[in-house]
Amino acid sequence: MKKILQLGMLLMLMAPIEGLFAQERTISGKVVAQEDNSPVPGVNIVIKGTGSGTATDLDGKYTIQVPAGATLVFTSIGFKSQEIVVGSRTTIDVQMTLEVSQLNEVVVTAGGLVVQRRELGNQATTIKATDLTQGKASNVAAGLAGKVPGLLVSAVSSGVNPNYRIVLRGNRSLLGNNQALLILDGVITPSAMLGNLNPEDIEDIQVLNGSGAAALYGSDASNGALIVTTKRGKSGAPEIKVSHTTTLEQVSYLPQLQREFGSGTTPDTPPSYTAYENQQYGPRFDGSIVVIGKPLADGSIQQVPYSATKKDARTAFWETGIQQQTDFSISASDDKSKLFLAGQRYTQESTVPFDKFSRYSVRANIDRKISNRLNAAIQTYYIANVYDISSAVGSAYNDVLMSPAHVDITKYKDWRNNPYANPNGYYNEYYDNPYFTLSNNRTDTKNNYLQTSMELKWNPIDPLTITGRLGYNSRNVFSKSTTGKFTFSPYTKSISGGSKTDIPGGVSESGAYETQLLFDFFGEYKTKITEDFSLNVVGGVQTRDNTSKSLNVSVSGLVISDLYNVSNSTTNLGGGAGFGHASQVGVYGDIRLGFRDFIYLHATGRNDWRSVLAKENRSFFYPAVDVSLILSDAIPSLKDASWLDALKIRGGYSQVGQVNLGQQYWGAYQLSATFGQGSGYPYSGNGGFTLGDVVVSPNLKPEITTSVEGGFDLDLNEYGASIGATFYKSNTVDQTVNVQVSRATGYTSMRMNVGEVENKGIETYLRATPIQTSYGLSASVQVTYTLNRNEVIALADGNADLTLSTFGGSRIVAKKGYPFPYLEVSDYKRTAEGKVIVDAATGMPSIAADYIQVGTTSPPHILGLSGSVKYRGFTLGGTAEYRNGHYIYNGVTTSFDFSGAGIRNTWFDRARFVFPNSVYEDPESPGTYIENTNLTTYTGGADFWTSGSYNTGIGANYTHSAGFWKIREISLRYDFPASWLAPAKVIKAANVSLQGRNLFIWTPKTNIYTDPEYSANGADSNAIGYISISQTPPGRYFGATISLTF
Amino acid sequence: MKKVNLKIWAGVFLLLFTVASCSDFLDINENPNQATTADLSLVLPQAIVATASRASAYNNYGAHFGGYMANAGGFSGFGTLLTYNLQPADYDGLWSTSFSGPLADLNYVIGKSEGIEEYVLYNAAAKIMMVVNYQMLVDAFGDIPYSEALNPGNTTPKYDDAATIYTSLVATLNAAIAQIDANPFAPALTAASDPLFGGNMANWKKYANTLKLRMLIRSNGNLSSLAGVEFLTDDAIVNPGYELNRPNPDWASWGRTVAGALSNSSRIPTTYAFAFYNGAKLLDAGRGETIFVNYPSTPTNQLGNEVGNPPIVSGQVTWASNQAGLTGTGVLKGPAMGRPLMLLAEAKFLLAEAQLKGGIAGDYTATFYEGITASFRYLYKTESGSLLAGANLTNLVDAYKTANDDKYLVEIEAATTDAQRLEAIITQKYIAVNMINSDEGWNEYRRTGYPVTVTGGAPSFDIASNKSIISARPDKLPTRVMYPSSEQQLNKPNYRNVDYTSERIFWDPN
Repeated sequence: MKKILQLGMLLMLMAPIEGLFAQERTISGKVVAQEDNSPVPGVNIVIKGTGSGTATDLDGKYTIQVPAGATLVFTSIGFKSQEIVVGSRTTIDVQMTLEVSQLNEVVVTAGGLVVQRRELGNQATTIKATDLTQGKASNVAAGLAGKVPGLLVSAVSSGVNPNYRIVLRGNRSLLGNNQALLILDGVITPSAMLGNLNPEDIEDIQVLNGSGAAALYGSDASNGALIVTTKRGKSGAPEIKVSHTTTLEQVSYLPQLQREFGSGTTPDTPPSYTAYENQQYGPRFDGSIVVIGKPLADGSIQQVPYSATKKDARTAFWETGIQQQTDFSISASDDKSKLFLAGQRYTQESTVPFDKFSRYSVRANIDRKISNRLNAAIQTYYIANVYDISSAVGSAYNDVLMSPAHVDITKYKDWRNNPYANPNGYYNEYYDNPYFTLSNNRTDTKNNYLQTSMELKWNPIDPLTITGRLGYNSRNVFSKSTTGKFTFSPYTKSISGGSKTDIPGGVSESGAYETQLLFDFFGEYKTKITEDFSLNVVGGVQTRDNTSKSLNVSVSGLVISDLYNVSNSTTNLGGGAGFGHASQVGVYGDIRLGFRDFIYLHATGRNDWRSVLAKENRSFFYPAVDVSLILSDAIPSLKDASWLDALKIRGGYSQVGQVNLGQQYWGAYQLSATFGQGSGYPYSGNGGFTLGDVVVSPNLKPEITTSVEGGFDLDLNEYGASIGATFYKSNTVDQTVNVQVSRATGYTSMRMNVGEVENKGIETYLRATPIQTSYGLSASVQVTYTLNRNEVIALADGNADLTLSTFGGSRIVAKKGYPFPYLEVSDYKRTAEGKVIVDAATGMPSIAADYIQVGTTSPPHILGLSGSVKYRGFTLGGTAEYRNGHYIYNGVTTSFDFSGAGIRNTWFDRARFVFPNSVYEDPESPGTYIENTNLTTYTGGADFWTSGSYNTGIGANYTHSAGFWKIREISLRYDFPASWLAPAKVIKAANVSLQGRNLFIWTPKTNIYTDPEYSANGADSNAIGYISISQTPPGRYFGATISLTF
Repeated sequence: MKKVNLKIWAGVFLLLFTVASCSDFLDINENPNQATTADLSLVLPQAIVATASRASAYNNYGAHFGGYMANAGGFSGFGTLLTYNLQPADYDGLWSTSFSGPLADLNYVIGKSEGIEEYVLYNAAAKIMMVVNYQMLVDAFGDIPYSEALNPGNTTPKYDDAATIYTSLVATLNAAIAQIDANPFAPALTAASDPLFGGNMANWKKYANTLKLRMLIRSNGNLSSLAGVEFLTDDAIVNPGYELNRPNPDWASWGRTVAGALSNSSRIPTTYAFAFYNGAKLLDAGRGETIFVNYPSTPTNQLGNEVGNPPIVSGQVTWASNQAGLTGTGVLKGPAMGRPLMLLAEAKFLLAEAQLKGGIAGDYTATFYEGITASFRYLYKTESGSLLAGANLTNLVDAYKTANDDKYLVEIEAATTDAQRLEAIITQKYIAVNMINSDEGWNEYRRTGYPVTVTGGAPSFDIASNKSIISARPDKLPTRVMYPSSEQQLNKPNYRNVDYTSERIFWDPN
């Protein structure tokens, strides 16, 4: 954005400056932007009260003659003006701060078109590079969290290169995609690319919250859009930037584990110690010396004190992760061309032992002026990433929790050489050494992404611009998973019964490619019809073509150990292949009528043709209109108000169609039921086919989202404050849903158009710079608050709810009349007053037949706080986020309560207890209940806590608020003063910074497990609200960066 | 100026229309990955094999409730399997996989072949297989969707009365038999399209008659229509060509994985069932040696006992003989063995019961011994289906009788009452279907109360889990499983919570 402003300033340099007259003193100095200390050319400097002055040159420098006692006024478009009393100084350096009122800011909208913010009738937020990379997050998505009103960014997984789910204005589609559309340099790009972008390449990100603003992008834009613009070459002298960041990651938020009881199992009367047991229901620790495991073949056996190890081994198991990021970029230009080249190398060692990840990226962005009326631009981005991770992280974490507190599992890392760590001698009879699990189950994955686009802009006559753009995306992935062969020794087998079974080993290999070819062609005609009316008309066409192919082969049962090739096997090759192809064409028009630069009417229409729908439903049209009114320019009294800088009100209505036929193959081939080989076929030369489980309703149509929004943006002169709010409502009808049906129909689900979801909400922001002093101290804050309320208005006839996912004693549903997604869990039998009914004889509770309603799993309330304080070269910045009003179910019952490792099962000291808040039936008068004050459970040990009926099967026991406060980022940066660097001549700028991410998290007391942002179902699933054991504990990051500009 | 504009706009629109009208660009939605139609000759055999897989799953369910299978040492967390504290989710698979698996496919075959002469035998065979699947469902769940089932137009099908379904199933068998009789020259099923009888329609009729016999006996129906008809003369076994890489479902569950690892290490035989082999109740070395690893020192346990219960024999398949000369016989012969839908032994014991009760004329004693012989014969069959070389069934059965001299459960002549005779027939059936069609053992136990159980007695005599929470019933066993959780969630208008400790299947008088 700033680039474009600077261009304007350069033009102004050429404007004649009024002649100067005789002065007494010479003042000189340099004017820089407060944002990034870059020189600001073209700043007008006027001696107050005289009208005479000068302007800064290309390097931001100026010299001026002033009379004694003068005051200088610095003004520049896009910056706030400043008045500085000269006093006795001869050098005055000035930092200009950006004008917060950004009505004239240039914003990229649909198709790569640019408009001024004043013209926009919809909510849009710009995130600049400095805000995005403040915490040096390696993933762009991580840098967005908490900074944009209406945007929900959730890190759904842990480990290397975690996945993020990005949703704007709530979940609209029941089963379809709800994630924001990603536009990279004008090209629709698969959302997986966002996690693979180099954040340092990004100039800014425009977040278009609603479908209205994005309607021109076509049917995928019903979820709003993130428009990412990468850096271009800068005019002026070549600039080389080099930086390096090292970040340490430490597992920080661990589940609460008990450290009082050692190994033992059921039955629990009395608890007895079992040396080789995974369950932790043994006697209380007493410090005596006990053996662990069974003797090795030579008779040796380990002995340890029967007390919890000093440092909990289940915490110490997680290692310190190390991330190294090196960036290089070069920008160069001449009068016809601009060049930007950037490279990044990023390596990561995980907190999970042995796991590694690396990423290499190269970007070249080139602009060339071919003639006065023809411009060309090309950008290519190549990225390769390599995962070397375990395919069994979840089971290894489970293995860790299956280890009692008196055993130091960290001693067992060297399983090949340490006889007690080797599976033959590992103390735990029933669960593997987690280090062995990790190292014996590996997956190597290599991804290559290529994103390239080429653009020609032709300006045959001044008002008309014709743009042609060709974009190409591809991903090639190869993956190999191996499981090592392991044969137990005859001795181990002889003492172990059925629990030690040989691992036959196996290997699987897969490869796939995906490509997207996108072609845009549009013309834009901009004119002034009369003095008062402006007109902007756009017409265009877009085609898109997606293909993918995948192949996989696998075998189990290796012949030669350690030879991981699919030909090295005792069994037949298994495998499969798939091919997908989908295409679409869109034709669109866009017209914007402006009156006196203070009111703008804007309408768009687009028709799409989608190959994945049947011919008769393939074509669909959708319109959008919006209006923007600058009240502060329209109403004279407001225009002159000294407190008011700008006031804009805006509103819009839009419809966008979306085709939700699943994410595989972009929804291709979903219109008819299918047959596949079943029941083990083919057998000995014969095939056998089974009817698929999904029946398809004829006539599938697109989903249509109709939205309205309205809001205002208010900029005040005081403190540079700006306040804005947007109210929105969207209704999505004709949802394409695989409705689960009674299996007695012969099918499991039916694909049909049903249902309606409504989302309503408010997005607000407040930005201010309350402190701004002439001696260089400034502080700014931003607060964003988002409220989203959604409701399932209608579902299929007869279906009161639609199950998205089930897990343990819980399910995530879309339920008529309730928010979406919605969590329901199993619970104890209770009275109408909510008291748990226990058995009058045993004191034990029992499970109720029906699930209870808990609440939504998507946060209705999101509050983001960010701010920065600058003083001289120092910048301190931070971001915090609060979310609440939603719930989560932890599907970790086996790992925490079956094992006995969790804290819950010690709440009653493993003794018989009176079930809290319980009643029992009056034997004298059935149907009435007596308050239970003395009837204890017949067991309070393993028999209670490991039981599905009494504990682990009760979903409510593992359900809690998913709310949190998080300190997402804190960074402290120091920019070395130019005067220090000047002598060296080569270095133009240098800074060092320290940053921390995910520093603190506060959750309700009921959350004794982990980060509630996680989702076991991954980023693409709408069934958020589950956590499984595969989500390893979250990390806290500490990093340091050094950055040099030459 | 204006003219230039017009030309450019004209060009733009021309381009728009060229691209937009290019419909080839959009006609690409033909599925290259999966078939959207399939010939009946491909669907019917798959449905038969799927039914065999269901029979295997029902065997697993029956083995737990019917007292055949117990928890082995080294494992805990069995939960409701030991307490019988049943939940709707527990046996969802029996229901869901039957309906959306073989029943949907058979319904497709019947729908596509109805009234088409070329496919009349497909139609008849599919009807018979439909009855097999429905009967398994009714025997487990009682009232189930039937008249409104298998129709995606009705997503909440009502539940029909179980006894009425039985009547309708018998009628379906009659219709199938009539179709076979009326179309002697219809295009035949082949070995490829009929992995059960290889296209032998006489065997299909015998099987249909035996299924009728089973349902009529179970529901106390009129057997007169079965006078003079032929029943099974051999085991009804499905084998599409199972092999190491595509194993028999029982072998996959309880034998070994394709890569050679043990499939099961958490279950061993119950002491109760084993007592019919080791002499505690009956002595049966002839069959015990073929079925159990390390017989007679096979590790066994009373279901529910978690204290000092033995683990499996390390590295060995529990229900497979490791005795020299007998490996590859018994109930887990190997990955390539066929999957019995109904044993000849069961057919014989059904007939013996009918003869005992006078519904069908004939000598129940002879039929009873034919049943025992048929059981020996199946167990002495090898993986390929042929009788083990050198096995002398007459000698084996004689040895069995000698070892259990004058015990009426083996020598039925020693029985003095019809009740004892019925007990002998049902007990022998219970032994014959052990780990093959264990669900039939469980069904017949519920119908007749045999074999007998002594609640709280020694593990050899007590069929139930010692962790049973069911106090209302003398045998401490549940009477049935609950309706599945998928119905609870998806067929709310018809779902109901059943009391699994008291509600009985319609044919269960106990």
